[in-house]
Amino acid sequence: MSSDAKGAPVPDQPVHPADVPVKPKEVAVGPEPRPPVVDFQNVTKTFGEGPKAFTAIKDVTFRIEDLPGKGEFIAILGPSGCGKSTVLRIIAGLSPQFPATSGTALVFGKPIPGPGPDRGMVFQDYTSFDHRTVIDNVAFGLECRGVPLKERHERAKEWIAKVGLDVAKDAFKYPHQLSGGMRQRVAIARTLILQPRIILMDEPFGALDPSTRLRMQDLLVSLWRDLEATVFFITHSIEEAVYLGDRVFILSSSPGTILRQIEVPPPDRPAKDMQQEQTFLSYVFDIRNTIETLESSTRAGDD
Amino acid sequence: MGRLGASLVAFRAEPSGWLGKGLGAACLALVLLVWFLVTMGGAAEERLVSPSVLPSPWETARSMVPLLTERGLVESIAASLFRVVAGFLLGVIVGVPLGILAGTWRATRAFFAPLVLFGRNVPLAALIALTILWFGIGELQKVMFIFIATVPFIFSETASAVIAVPDRYVETAQTLGATNRQIALKVLTPLAMPSAYTGLRHLFGLAFGYIMLAEVINAEHGLGHLISLSQRRAMYEDIYLILIIIGVLAFGIDRALVMFQRGLFPHRVEE
Repeated sequence: MSSDAKGAPVPDQPVHPADVPVKPKEVAVGPEPRPPVVDFQNVTKTFGEGPKAFTAIKDVTFRIEDLPGKGEFIAILGPSGCGKSTVLRIIAGLSPQFPATSGTALVFGKPIPGPGPDRGMVFQDYTSFDHRTVIDNVAFGLECRGVPLKERHERAKEWIAKVGLDVAKDAFKYPHQLSGGMRQRVAIARTLILQPRIILMDEPFGALDPSTRLRMQDLLVSLWRDLEATVFFITHSIEEAVYLGDRVFILSSSPGTILRQIEVPPPDRPAKDMQQEQTFLSYVFDIRNTIETLESSTRAGDD
Repeated sequence: MGRLGASLVAFRAEPSGWLGKGLGAACLALVLLVWFLVTMGGAAEERLVSPSVLPSPWETARSMVPLLTERGLVESIAASLFRVVAGFLLGVIVGVPLGILAGTWRATRAFFAPLVLFGRNVPLAALIALTILWFGIGELQKVMFIFIATVPFIFSETASAVIAVPDRYVETAQTLGATNRQIALKVLTPLAMPSAYTGLRHLFGLAFGYIMLAEVINAEHGLGHLISLSQRRAMYEDIYLILIIIGVLAFGIDRALVMFQRGLFPHRVEE
């Protein structure tokens, strides 16, 4: 285990002499303090008991403040099997990762009751409901809430357009007639139509080809600006994390714990431009070094 | 010839539509040719196989006319079909909802497990005896025989199809605010139906074979009855012809069910 890990809870300042101005963190100062969006205190999850017990995450502690009029974008990086998904699924309230074995996990100051539409989730695998057309996929959540057909179809059409699909051409297609990128657009529309305060994304673009991926990143940035939602975004791509994130969490592996939190510049230019700039690349190199050190130290620890 | 030859030896690749059909036709033609050759000749002594064992293709085809006009082939087909369809529909009405329940709330499955295990393993001959004991020897017995023989399979087929729906769909629905009831009705059931339907289609083919067994005993009409009668009267051509008709009928029904499946589940069709 790397000794760096002990210093984890304090968010790191950007390591590089920033010629990009990083805004100092705003803290909600108001008449009444709002509870944090997500508050993890020493959250640990252990599967099984006895000698076969496996600890997926250990003492994960972080806090996402509720900033007025703005949601934070948290990108989560880390080696495979480091418990990134466990963190997300605990917030989502999905078993068997939920509930945590110990520690407190609060959402808006309250314990997590189980899965709910206030915490939307987008998975890597295509989870479009095969038997429903695009419009009925997007309208699924509204249908469950009992919104009448006409109204939910109106709103679904708005969202189909917002995620860059063609309402006239695509709304009544079935998922098998769509490409992977289009299916993920449907999945994003289906989640965002419910206006969740928290959006959980588990490698949503992991199965897409590189150019589709860049376009999806830009789409996500533009949608997220309007929504004022907090996003947790797991990815294996350091570029993706640095581009999309306000903050990047780096998790160490087995058991997973937050090793570093890095503030990165916000995505204010198109992905393919910004990702070629020098400052952007220096963040990427810095994070890559951290992860490589981490992986080699973990391997050494295994011997 | 080059391309045809290549697709004939293609490893693990499905032959194209016409080539596939052509291969099937070639097999049929070969069987017919062998049949023709071994039954060639006039008198019984001149033939390789005696006509009392295997009549010639022509002799068999010829018996179509009396089978239709004197022996009530059409009525028999209708009677057999009615029994299978009635028994199987009853099985679907009972088995599918219970199977969905069992796939969704697994406790139901555990509860029915012994009954299903028993039902799946009852020998058909014993089931005929039992249904006669319970329902007499009329139409009801034949319908109930098909019902009891198929319902455990319909139940487990449906339950497995529901269980096989990946958890991801359930989790997605949960994070979209669906209740358990909504997940069962709007997600699990419709996603499981295409594969359950395929299972049921194959079961229906089996049930169509089962009914012949029940019709051997005290049936007024029915293909099984017709076969056993032909056997007693030594009308061997009729037996072969009825067997061919059953094959064609079973194939026709299966194709019709596939067409229906395409309309029912436009998003997914399994062969």
